[in-house]
Amino acid sequence: MTSTLSSPPRRQTRPNAPQPAASNSRLTLRQRLNRWDVRYSPYFYVAPFFILFGLVGLFPLLYTFVVSLNDWNLLTGPGDWVGFHNFAAELTDPLFWNSVFNTFSIFFLSAIPQLIAATVIAAVLDQNLRAKTFWRISVILPYVVTPVAVTLIFSNMFGEKYGLINNLLEAFHLPGVMWKSDTLPAHIAIATMVNWRWTGYNALILLAAMQAVPRDLHESAAIDGAGAVRRFFSITIPSIKPTFIFVIITATIGGLQIFTEPKLFNAASAIPGGAQRQYQTTVLYLWDLAFNRQQFGKAAAVAWILFLIIVIVGLVNFLLTRSISGAETKAISRRKARRLARVRERDAASVASVQAEGSIE
Amino acid sequence: MKSRALRRTVIVTAAVSTAAMALAGCASSSGSSGSGDSNEKITLTVTTFGTMGLDSLYKKYEDSHPNITIKATNIDTGDNALTDWQTKQAAGSGLPDVQAVEEGWLAKVMQVSDSFTDLRDYGADKISDNWVDWKVKQATDANGRIIGYGTDIGPEGLCYNSKLFAAAGLPTDRDDVAKLFGGDDATWEDFFKIGEEYHEKTGKAWYDQSGFIWNSMVNQLPEGYYTSDGQLNVENNAELKARWALLAQGAADGLSSNQTQWDWGGGKAFVDGSFATFVCPGWMLGNLKGSTEAAGGDASSGWDFADVFPGGPANWGGSFLTVPTTSKHPKEAAELAQYLTSEQSQVTAFQAAGAFPSNIKAQSDSGVTGASELTAFFNDAPIGKILAKRAEGVVAQYKGPDDSVIQSQVFGPSVQLLDAGKADGTKAWNNAIKLLNQLVVNK
Repeated sequence: MTSTLSSPPRRQTRPNAPQPAASNSRLTLRQRLNRWDVRYSPYFYVAPFFILFGLVGLFPLLYTFVVSLNDWNLLTGPGDWVGFHNFAAELTDPLFWNSVFNTFSIFFLSAIPQLIAATVIAAVLDQNLRAKTFWRISVILPYVVTPVAVTLIFSNMFGEKYGLINNLLEAFHLPGVMWKSDTLPAHIAIATMVNWRWTGYNALILLAAMQAVPRDLHESAAIDGAGAVRRFFSITIPSIKPTFIFVIITATIGGLQIFTEPKLFNAASAIPGGAQRQYQTTVLYLWDLAFNRQQFGKAAAVAWILFLIIVIVGLVNFLLTRSISGAETKAISRRKARRLARVRERDAASVASVQAEGSIE
Repeated sequence: MKSRALRRTVIVTAAVSTAAMALAGCASSSGSSGSGDSNEKITLTVTTFGTMGLDSLYKKYEDSHPNITIKATNIDTGDNALTDWQTKQAAGSGLPDVQAVEEGWLAKVMQVSDSFTDLRDYGADKISDNWVDWKVKQATDANGRIIGYGTDIGPEGLCYNSKLFAAAGLPTDRDDVAKLFGGDDATWEDFFKIGEEYHEKTGKAWYDQSGFIWNSMVNQLPEGYYTSDGQLNVENNAELKARWALLAQGAADGLSSNQTQWDWGGGKAFVDGSFATFVCPGWMLGNLKGSTEAAGGDASSGWDFADVFPGGPANWGGSFLTVPTTSKHPKEAAELAQYLTSEQSQVTAFQAAGAFPSNIKAQSDSGVTGASELTAFFNDAPIGKILAKRAEGVVAQYKGPDDSVIQSQVFGPSVQLLDAGKADGTKAWNNAIKLLNQLVVNK
């Protein structure tokens, strides 16, 4: 991009300047401005992002770290400098580990079915359907509804005494499920909300990637006798690998930071995340620490621990995805490389023979 | 740590007062007569919560003070209002000119009482006789500064459903009901005993859930989770333990309907006969009416209000209107707060929401003792008169800094265990003590 931007002025200035290698002092002000423009404006253009990031991203991140090193009360402000005591205290707090367990449980219950469903939906939408746009818009609709509204509706449906789902179960003479007081049902209920909201969004991203897969690959595979399922696993999936990694990483970040759904699942609960903290995720625990228990320093420490956990899980996901879907691609590329080498050998041989013939003549 | 905090406070106060002086200087040099100008257009922000019944008063005040516009925000529950206030207090900005504060978190407010305007500067000490004495005492900080005007108090009576009582063969007339529970000598033992009888006859629950019962049991004691001199006293508190045992037995016998607090199935539980009694501080009457109506019920749903409360007089909640020092118009804000808590305003608030006046004159006003929409809902019960009687003998309990954490996070889970039938009294109590050590003692 820089080179295309810079080439026109250079072409203009060069014919005017008798000696292109001359020092800067020989250049006119206009020329110098031009040069600065080329050299420095790109930084100027990208600066707003970095300034904003510094203000609302980097500064809070570092400030949170400073807070985490203090015995900091939310209302009365900073107390003593305690070093890494807050981190040590939280890492040995059973309530913290309870929140980590809940977070991962809800994350797995939501991310795995969600990604599988999104891939299947994307594959279906990738076919030649009638009223394509209608189907695609329908899939994204849940994403448009605000999470608070989603949670209020689902929270009502999952009510233990008056909820729609338990009413239906009772209509079939089945026992109602304690959606809000038992741990696993609560996790499933919350995961359902997350899935409802995010499956369509991920499906659309995967669909976009699938449509970029060259059709001739599919056609030639079909001619070779590969069925639809075989083509899906051997062509589509490996081809959309980069998008898959993106979707998995964003799902990880979002899934580990889940807040609204568990917070409003039982809005009246004095303890965010259920009376027994059955579905108190780590972000909720952090919020509870800061705003109910006034322990701002410990909350900041939890924020940093969560940050590190997300980075680690993100990296693990990245490596796993690369090695799983990469295995097939690697095999293919190895085969390709061998074939290519053979072709090259043949070419080299023929060139050599041609040269040899030439030299003889 | 204390001295450090103090030093910080001094610095902040110095900075604030310097800034205030600078601002005052600006105002007097640019404006014609500074903040005393009654024609200056002013917008005052007010944050309240729950149903405080002040809505109609804002309009009236604007009409009599044409230069003032009131922007009011009402937050659904006291807990959410606490979060809102704490966030803004910690951030140091965004606080309204008039902030409603609940008794339950007054102890937290007192930790930073110097960030609230001393209302004595605007004459609070001259009119302090207007309120019941303990209400003013609660709003006075350690340095004798009065930081809030009392709005309502929460004397507790017993709400009961006369239809359900009739079906179980219990008396339905509110005087007979009061006698049934023991009148002035009503005890929790009686309450649970009658509950057992009701449960045997009908198979239904007696009260909505154990949380409110426990709350009342703790609130009516002379000393709750803290002793009067501020010492935490839970683990070996025999009084608390005895009451806990009663509560646990009641839940084990099926007297609790295990409803979700503040939800009650969108009010349906008040209409479908899930439970027959409900603890009712004055302000709860408005909540009960609202919830019942939300579920399609009305006066014919059968709710009534009796002049009796197990275990003697009790107070739950009640609020104050404060003026944070961040207010740009403390004088006008203090005037508004004073107006909103005046005799006439408290009468209006009572009629709108059942918020029982802390203003002594308002308590005997015919608007409080007479009929209203609320009395119509409660089978024409003389709510005002009953509450005035229920307020007699109430002593305000000392609330420690972690009182709200103990109530909701230490005992909340255990109360829920009892209701869900997942633990007996001893196990649930031990669970609470474990949490107490985790959350409060070794924090």
